[in-house]
Parts: sequence; C-alpha cells; structure tokens
Amino acid sequence: MPISRPTDVTATLDALAASPDADLLAGGTDLVVEVNLDRRRPEHVIALRRVTELAGHDTTDGRLRLGANVTYSEVEHDLAQLVPGLAMAARTVGSPQIRNAGTLGGNLGTASPAGDTLPWLLAMDAEVELASPEGDRSVPLANFLTGPKSTARRPAELITGVRLPRVEGPQHVSKIGPRNAMVISVACFAIVLDTTNRRVRTGMGAVGPTVLRSPDAERAVTQALDWDALTCPEDAIDAFGRACAEATAPITDHRSSAEYRRHAVGVLARRALRRCLST
Amino acid sequence: MTTRSVGAPVARSEDPRLLRGEGRYLDDLGHDAFQIAMVRSPHAHARVLDIDVSGALEVEGLIAIHTFEDLPPRLQEPLPLLLPHPSLTAGRTQHLLADGEVNHVGEAVVMVTATDRYAAEDAAERILVEYDPLPAVVGPERARAAEHAVHDDVPDNVAAHLEQSIGDAPAAIGAAPNRLRFRLDIERSASTPMEGRGTYARWDGDDERVRLHTSTQAPTSVRAAVAAFLGLQLAQVECIAPDIGGGFGVKIMHPWPEEILVPWAARELGHDVKFTEDRREHFVSANHERAQVHWIDVGFDDDGRVLGLDVEFIHDHGAYIPYGLIVPIITSTQLIGPYKLENYRVVFDSVYTNTTPVSPYRGAGRPQGCFAMERTIDRIAAHLGKDRTEVRSVNFLQPEEMPYDFGLTFQDGRPLRYDSGDFPASLEKLKQLVDWDGFEERRAAAEAEGRLLGIGLATYVEGTGVGPYEGGHVLIEPGGTVQVSTGLSTQGQGHQTVFAQIVADELGVDLADVRVVTGDTRRFPYAVGTFASRAAVMSGNAIHLAARRVREKALRIASEALEVDAEDLELADGQARVVGSPDTAIDLKVVATLSNPLRYAFDESARIATQFANPGKEGQPPVTDDDEPGLEATDYYSPMSSTFANGMHAVEVSVDPDTSDIEVVRYAVVHDCGPLLNPRIVQGQVLGGVAQGVGGALYERMAYDEHGQLQNASFMDFLMPYATEVPSVDIDHLETPSPLNPLGIKGAGEAGVIPGAAAIAAAIEDATGVVIDAMPISPSQLHEQRLTTAQDRPGDTT
Repeated sequence: MPISRPTDVTATLDALAASPDADLLAGGTDLVVEVNLDRRRPEHVIALRRVTELAGHDTTDGRLRLGANVTYSEVEHDLAQLVPGLAMAARTVGSPQIRNAGTLGGNLGTASPAGDTLPWLLAMDAEVELASPEGDRSVPLANFLTGPKSTARRPAELITGVRLPRVEGPQHVSKIGPRNAMVISVACFAIVLDTTNRRVRTGMGAVGPTVLRSPDAERAVTQALDWDALTCPEDAIDAFGRACAEATAPITDHRSSAEYRRHAVGVLARRALRRCLST
Repeated sequence: MTTRSVGAPVARSEDPRLLRGEGRYLDDLGHDAFQIAMVRSPHAHARVLDIDVSGALEVEGLIAIHTFEDLPPRLQEPLPLLLPHPSLTAGRTQHLLADGEVNHVGEAVVMVTATDRYAAEDAAERILVEYDPLPAVVGPERARAAEHAVHDDVPDNVAAHLEQSIGDAPAAIGAAPNRLRFRLDIERSASTPMEGRGTYARWDGDDERVRLHTSTQAPTSVRAAVAAFLGLQLAQVECIAPDIGGGFGVKIMHPWPEEILVPWAARELGHDVKFTEDRREHFVSANHERAQVHWIDVGFDDDGRVLGLDVEFIHDHGAYIPYGLIVPIITSTQLIGPYKLENYRVVFDSVYTNTTPVSPYRGAGRPQGCFAMERTIDRIAAHLGKDRTEVRSVNFLQPEEMPYDFGLTFQDGRPLRYDSGDFPASLEKLKQLVDWDGFEERRAAAEAEGRLLGIGLATYVEGTGVGPYEGGHVLIEPGGTVQVSTGLSTQGQGHQTVFAQIVADELGVDLADVRVVTGDTRRFPYAVGTFASRAAVMSGNAIHLAARRVREKALRIASEALEVDAEDLELADGQARVVGSPDTAIDLKVVATLSNPLRYAFDESARIATQFANPGKEGQPPVTDDDEPGLEATDYYSPMSSTFANGMHAVEVSVDPDTSDIEVVRYAVVHDCGPLLNPRIVQGQVLGGVAQGVGGALYERMAYDEHGQLQNASFMDFLMPYATEVPSVDIDHLETPSPLNPLGIKGAGEAGVIPGAAAIAAAIEDATGVVIDAMPISPSQLHEQRLTTAQDRPGDTT
C-alpha cells in the first residue's frame, strides 16, 4: 500500500488528483480505528502531518482561522482563551494520547454525528476551507455536513482549515457519554451567548444524522434573554430545553435509546444555558 | 532475628520486574516463529459450503493453509467435554476448525500459517469461504423457545436440566403468609484481560519433544490435552505458563483449539509456531459469561424469614459447552448466601445460543446468584416495610451452627458445607463502616442539593479452594537459595510473594532468598489449575506442608551435625541454632550440603560432604533406608470439601434526577477470608474485584443483535470502568479461620466482584424508587424505567 507524505498543499492536491480514492490520514484516531476493525482497507494513504500550511491559527479582520492540523491538545492548552467553548469540547475527547493525535480537520472530515468539536463549530457558523486544483472555496459547516459521515468535500478537495467569527460572551460545551471519559458521545450540546451580536448560538451532537441546531429555540431564547443583565426567566429556560429536544432526530443503538438522547440534550441545553447566565 | 512475614503487608516481589517492562508475556517469546492467523466466521450460524484458498497461495511468506479436511483424524475430533455431569445429556463441543457448520461469530474456520503475522493476515483475507446462513438463536429465552436449533441434533437447545432441593419449597411457599413472584435478569459480559489468548510451540525433532508456552490458568491440563491429541507421551510435552497479562477466569478454558493446532503445526512444519490473539478476536473467540434469566417464587413470614424459596433459571452457555455445568451449578448452590434456607428448590436449563461459548469469569455464576438472593431479600423488606439489614439478620445462619451442611452438591461434586463465618458480626461491622443508621441524614442533605442519594447492601458466601488437590515442592540449595514450585499458574495474584512468605516463615530464611516458580510442568507436573479462588488455599497449604517437611529434615541433619537434640533447635536467620544459645548454629546451606553425601569435592563447600570428610553414621549406608539425598520435600494438600469465604458490601449511589446519571459515591466492604497471608495483596484483590463489580453493574455488557453480531466488540464500546468510575473503597476484615486447612485460610480472588451488581442495584432502587430487576443498567435504561414507573404511579414525578 503506497503512502504519500506531501509537505505542502500543492503536493497534497497532486497526490489526491493522482489517486482520488486515497484515504487522508491526519491524527489517525478515526482512520486507524476503522482499519483495526476491518471496516476499511486503504489502497493508498496520504499522510497530512507534514503539510505546513495546515498547522497553526491566525486572526484577520476579526475572524479566526484554525488550521486543519490543529490538534485537540493545542486547542485545549494553547487556544483556551481564544476559543473557550472549543477547548471545553476538546477536553472531552478521548485520552491525552488521543488528543495529541486527533485534529480539527480530521473531526470535520470524518463528519461523525458525534464529532466532539462539531456542535460548537456549528454554533459559531464556522466555514470549512477547502482547497482543490480548481481553486479554494469555503462552505458553511451546516452545508458541509450532509449526513452521517458524509460531507460536501469533493474527491479532489482537501480540508485546509476552518474559519469562524470572533465573538464575545459566555459559552459552554457539555457532553453525556456512557462513561465519564474516553467515550463516544450520547448527546453533546454547545452554546454561545454572543453578546457582540446579541444572539444565542447553539449546536447539538449525536442526536441526529449530523450535528444540528434549533433556530426556533435560539430565536425564542434570544428574545427572552435580558442581554444587559444576562438573565433569563425560568420558563424560558425550560422552553429552550424543550425546543432543543424537539429539534432532534436521534437514533437508538447500543449506546443509548433515541428517547434518552432527546431527553438528555434537553437537560444539557438547560444546564448549559444556566451556566452562561449571571446568577 | 528473622521477622515473621505471613500476615505482614509485604510488597509484591513481582512488581518491580513487571512495572519496568521486563515481563515475558506470550508475544514476547518466539520472535522467529511462524505466525498464525485464523479465518473466523462472520456469521452466527451458517453452513460452510466451500472454501477457496487459491487467491491466498501467492501471498509472499505463506507457509501453510489448513481447513478441517486437512487435519488428521484425531484432530478432527471435537474438543473434550472437560467436566462431564450426569445431567449434561446433550453436551456438544467445538471442533478445532469448523466441520461444515459454524455456530458463533468468531469460530475458527481456516488456519493460515506464514512467516509473520502480516503475511498470515494478508493470506487469510484472500481466502473465500462460502456460507449458507442459518437462523441465529440469540438470548436465553429465544433458545428455550426453540423456534430454531443451534445444533440439529439438539432440537430443544437444552444441553442440561438440573434440579436440586432441600425440604419442600413449593409446600412451604404455599403455606407462607406472604408470597412474592418476580423475574431477574443478568446480561452477558466477559473477563477481557489485558492480554488475550496466545500459544507458542517449539518442536524439537531430535529429541521428539514439544515445548509449549501458553497463556493459561491450567498448564498441566493443557499438557495432557496436547499429548492426547498429538499422540505423544506426557514425557514428550512440556507446558509453561509465562507471565500472563490477566486471566480473570477465561484462561481456565482449555484446550483452546489453538492450543492443539499450534503444537501440531510446529511438529508438521518442523518450525516454531505462534498464535497471538488480537483484541477483536478476543471479543468473539474467547469465552464469555453471566447471561441468565431467573424466576423467583418466595414465601416468608411477617418478620421476613424466608420459609420457602423456589428458583428457576435459564443459563445461556453459548454455542458449545466444553466447560460443563460449573457456572449454573455455582449459581444454584451459592445463591443461598449467608442464609439458613430449609426449603429451597432450584431448577435450571443450560441452553445453546449462537454466541461465543461460556466458561467461568471471575465470580463464576455467583454474581448472578447473589443478585437473585439479595434482590429477593430487598423485595421482602420492601413488602414488609422493614429495614433491609433487619430482614437479613433474621435469616442469617448463626456462627454456632457452623459447620453447616445444606444437603446440596457443590461444583466439586462434594457436599455444600459451610466451614466458618460469623455473619451477624460481619453485618454489624458493615453497618458501622458505612454508617448505615446515619444514611437518612445524608439522603436529606443530598436532596437539598438536588441529588437523589440511595444506599444498598449485598452479602455473599463464596466456596473457595475447591479440590481435588495441589502440590508444592521446596528445596534448599547448597548455595542457600530456597527453590519453591507449584504446578498451577499465576496471572497477577502475587503468588511469588505470598508463597515465599509461607516458606520463609517455616524455614526461618530471608524472603529474598526464596524463589517461586509457578505453572511450569518441567518443575511440577501435578496440578489442577488457578480458578475458584483456590491458589492460596490449595498451593499455599501444599507448599506450607512441603516446607514443614524440609524444616523437619533440616532440624534432624543439624541436630546430628551439632550433636544437640532437635527439640532444642530453631530455624532462624538462615541457620539452625540452639534456642537461647544462638552461637551454637549451623548455616542452612551447610545443612543442605550435608544432606547430600558426595564423592567429588567440586568446590570448597562441597568438601564437607565428601566420603572421607563425612563418613556418616557407623553401620549405616551413606543414605539410610528411610532417607533421600537433598534438603527438599514435596507435599500435597487435598481437602475434604471447599472452604467458604464470605463478605458484605454496602454502596451509596448518587443519581442525577434529570439525566439519570449514576455515580457510586461510597463503597464499603467487610471481607472474611480467614487470616490474611498478606493484607496488601488481599486489599488489592478486593479493590480490583470491586472495580470489576462496578463495571459489571454499570458499564460492561456484550451487546449482541438478533443476528448474533456483537455490536460492541472493541474497547471503544465495551466500557470498562476507569479511575473516574471506581470509588475509593473502605475495607474491613473479619478473620474467622477455616478449620479445614493448616493455614486456616479461605480464598479471596473473586470476592470483590460478587455482590457489585446486587448492591448497586439496591442503591439505585433506594435512590429512585424504581424497582431494579435487571443489570447492568445504563442511565438511558434507568431514565426509561423511571418514566415507566412514574406512569404506573400517577402523582409521582421524576
């Protein structure tokens, strides 16, 4: 099995053009598991770790760009001030070893409905940067994720990073899994009280075919919030939890029943909102 | 002065080596061996129509491919039924490679041997097996419904039906003032040791001998099986258990098909051959345990005294039953726990399903039995509105009734006869340890914080140290080192440390001078195995007896050499010396040298034992009629019946009222295994068991779908508890000695795991008011049960 190890985006795109079915390897925390479980037998692997343009982050015009090769560990340790909600999400991923290996680009590329960074990125209206021989484009995350483990990425395209607005305000990410650590999410919830634009942003994981948001719930709670005091009436908090739960389309599997996923994300929504409010 | 080490918390001598990565596990051996990869069935039930190996033949490094047809006649016979029983009337065991039919996912179909594992797997992948899928039988109830059969010649899927009884339970229940009937379920789980199975064989064609290293709990029995299948004399087979990365029961199953196929292939190919199981294989091809459904019918008086108990259960033993009825028999007999049941009837069916076969996993039928009995006692308490400890107290066997014979037959074919224990004292200790009477205050405080707090307890009695026997050999070398061996193997229990403690005390030598070897048939060929919490009781006592013989011989030789009465001598500090006059002494290594009359002075110390230096007793040959050369002895311990350890656990759980998340916040254990040989090691055993009990109660399950596919065959989804899930545990010991053995000890290996599911279920029930009748339980399941309970009881809210 051939392995390409390009060091820049151009060479990566050349390799991808030469073998469009190649598996892209970043941290390997998804791909290697699939190989170990015999679910995938790669014919060709393109290893991305050496591609320098995919590393690091920068801020321009109030927008933040995170490179596809940024690991959960980097988010957790180096970017906690810049993207606190994403850092919370990163801390729920696997073990330290997994967090040292796994990347944002990998989480986006795998596009699992339980992908741990995706709810927060969705709440932030993140856009996925894609490079290809035809030129670069960026796709809103909501459009990029087209179903369970499927994306709008074209065969010749490479995820180079993710862009998002910089906003002020409290944020929170929490996750329920069948064990306290190192588990695949049963329900995940991300919330940002965007005080810059005075709107509540949310994202929900593992409760639908892709990560989801509830525009109705967001709209209602945005109106109910006292943005100066950062308080919210109890009935509006309850309604927010209910509206979020109603917007889900979960499945039943060996990790949880659909009913519990729906219920749990509603609980997470209420709790996450409360954490962001002044008490 | 040598200090007594038995009873002291001596640090484990094996740990520095293992912690530094210097252990020699199976896959650390045989680097140049050919390696095996198995083609395993992807179907739970299918006929094998065709096997096409042509695509694999070009794989570089391929050595051999074997299917069932390629095996010699003896290897086409099914595995032995290890534990026959009169009730096991339809016992079926697997073939080494599938003979035209597969009965569970993971069953071996084709064996591929190659120069390395990569090549073997590449070749295995290119072998095309054509299957005709058959309907899969999954779950104990579908098995008994017998809509489809696992084995054509067992149409009802029932391998065995066994009934045992004391008194007349149906009559006693009928006459009782109170009666309850309900059902209790325990799901399938598995041992899942860190190291899976593995076997490495080396055939020496010049000597015509095979040396087998295998990751087993029963090396002497594997040796016997290999000799039988390969047509070898026992003297041609050596079997060694190297360092083992955990067993927890699954490695008592033997021989695995690979334990026969690997040495056979080594002989056929004239080359070392190795099989190392990977994790995914382990999930589907190494045995499981636990799945049982129980129906309880109990009659009791107004004090909660059980007047009659009638239990029926179905035991799911998977696709084959090589290990016999051990697990359901243990459930049947150990269900009784610390209670004096005078009218008890238990009936079980052991049924075939198209799932991985079953053999004991730490606890071995006891967690299920404990769950059945302790949930029953809790139901009685709830029905009568009594404190759960009170109902237990009125049912306890009393210490003055020991030994107590129930009139049932235990798993060793001998009477179920409790030898020791003081259950009222244990319960009192537990109540103190967990502050049982102060719980309602803690519950109220938690409620004020919005948490649901509950407490539960569970008790058990565990038959340990089952026979028939173990042996021990102790030898003092002329260099002063004490060599100890016993035949059973070790999987991390600290045997090297504990057995050395026993010998060091008996011989008055330093612990560091004692070397212990376990599980090597070259050193000790007679043994039964490591299971049923028996190693300390069986081998510990055998080694103790052997060391005592060596002590007697040492004292005799020393008394002759020092010309003092043996009665006046003691062994201490590596010497035999006169009590009260330690200057009159002789080193044990000199005694060892003197024990062996020599012709040749090959070194300075040997000179004292040569024929002119030591002419021996006048008128006697150099070795007298009743003597043997060497300062060594072998002895065996074989008990009349098992020794019965016991314990009680109390648990507090906190349940999140919104998410139904369950957290174990407090865990207390009172444990009685008799005198502690090494409190540190016993504590480690109990803690490890509690962790496994928490896993079994809240996380670990084998999630089969209706087609017999295991949905969670990886550590991503088969969840073991981490440090984040295991509470700190308060442990107290009661030490009621067993009258059955010289050391007075009872087994401790499985104790910690047994009452976990029962106690945690009780605590969840206490916290939520939801009746918990099936374990393990997840937050998702508890949530749904709370909703159902709330619907059944309008007015309540959750």
